[in-house]
Amino acid sequence: MPVTRLLYPLYQLGNPQLRIFRPNWFLTLVRPGKEQPPDTVQFRTPMEMTKYDIKNYLENIYNVPVGVVRTRIQFGSNKKRNYRNQKIKQPDYKVAYVQLAQGQTFSFPDVFPEKDKTPEEGSMEEMEQKYMEDEKQRQKLDPRRGGVTDWFGF
Amino acid sequence: MAASSSAGRVLTLCKQFQNVFRISSAINTKHCTATLTRCQPHLYRETSPLAALSWCSPVSAVSQCRALHTTVSRRGLNEFFDLPENWGENNVKSGAPWTAKQLRTKSNEDLHKLWYVLLKEKNMLLSLEQESRRQRLQMPSPERIRKVNRSMFRLETVVKERETALRLLQTGQEKGRPGAWRRNIFGYSYWYRYKEYAIPWYMNKRYKQKRFFTPKFVQPHIRLRLEKHMRGKARETSLQRGNRSKLKEKFPQMKVSAS
Repeated sequence: MPVTRLLYPLYQLGNPQLRIFRPNWFLTLVRPGKEQPPDTVQFRTPMEMTKYDIKNYLENIYNVPVGVVRTRIQFGSNKKRNYRNQKIKQPDYKVAYVQLAQGQTFSFPDVFPEKDKTPEEGSMEEMEQKYMEDEKQRQKLDPRRGGVTDWFGF
Repeated sequence: MAASSSAGRVLTLCKQFQNVFRISSAINTKHCTATLTRCQPHLYRETSPLAALSWCSPVSAVSQCRALHTTVSRRGLNEFFDLPENWGENNVKSGAPWTAKQLRTKSNEDLHKLWYVLLKEKNMLLSLEQESRRQRLQMPSPERIRKVNRSMFRLETVVKERETALRLLQTGQEKGRPGAWRRNIFGYSYWYRYKEYAIPWYMNKRYKQKRFFTPKFVQPHIRLRLEKHMRGKARETSLQRGNRSKLKEKFPQMKVSAS
């Protein structure tokens, strides 16, 4: 059930720029595959967005000072085939490299740090964990025989 | 199992908060600080549900509508990520999506602000999803994306309803984009929607190559198409009749519904 935007009015010099008014475009911040300079942020944008659109979007909605935006279109592969030998197309997407103004830097943070996941007392998670541990203990073979299966010996 | 019960608890909590706010707002309609905070989550992850917000603008005594106050975001690019205490969790609690009924009670300014809030939330979730794919880990609570999508869709429908109502009142037109019924070269008539061009149609070479009439040599094709369609319909009705007669033969007391 996508939200569809009707045609934007024809743009001629001097018209108001309406594309960032209640936009239906979503930017995805991605971790760069190759090493980027410290002030560069990498986004995946929809194909219809232009460099000016991205700049206005970030400046107005996120209050991020943007210097320069460079974009490229990444071709999604059409090589893989399914069980019927039909080609499966991965969708194309546009990648934007945004350089921040005013000497700001950005480094992609570690969003999945190792956390000590001890559940609190008396909670469902604790009971579940206990149950799982008990089950695993039951599945283990006899330690007195060295954890070896019943196939061996008498 | 635990997650769903906790989500259910949060949902009921949210509904309770909603009732609280309805009562309190009925009391202080005249006061300026009636703030609508996030009973429906995804609004402000910074503050707790019942905390008062940073600044409240005075509401004039004339309009008794409650304004939605938002904090100016100063987190910059960190808004593409969740709050740091949620990093590394297995599931992040979130409430129910907005329903169209709830959204219809909000003013246009509120809906406008809510759109951007939902937009930012969706950006954050998409970034998280991509990062989880990169790190080959499971994204915590992916149902949030579906909730946000549904909220945005409902918001769009409510806004469209209001726009059509306004347009009907002001101009008498139901649709915003003008169009006309036209016949294409294959003999079908369809609703052609006008597109905006910088030059008139008689200067547009590409447009003039399009033919909005059916040439004479297409008539035999149309006739054949019609015949095929009618043949198909006749086959379908005879099949239905045959099935019914067979059933009647096997089960004579059967009551056939008038279909």
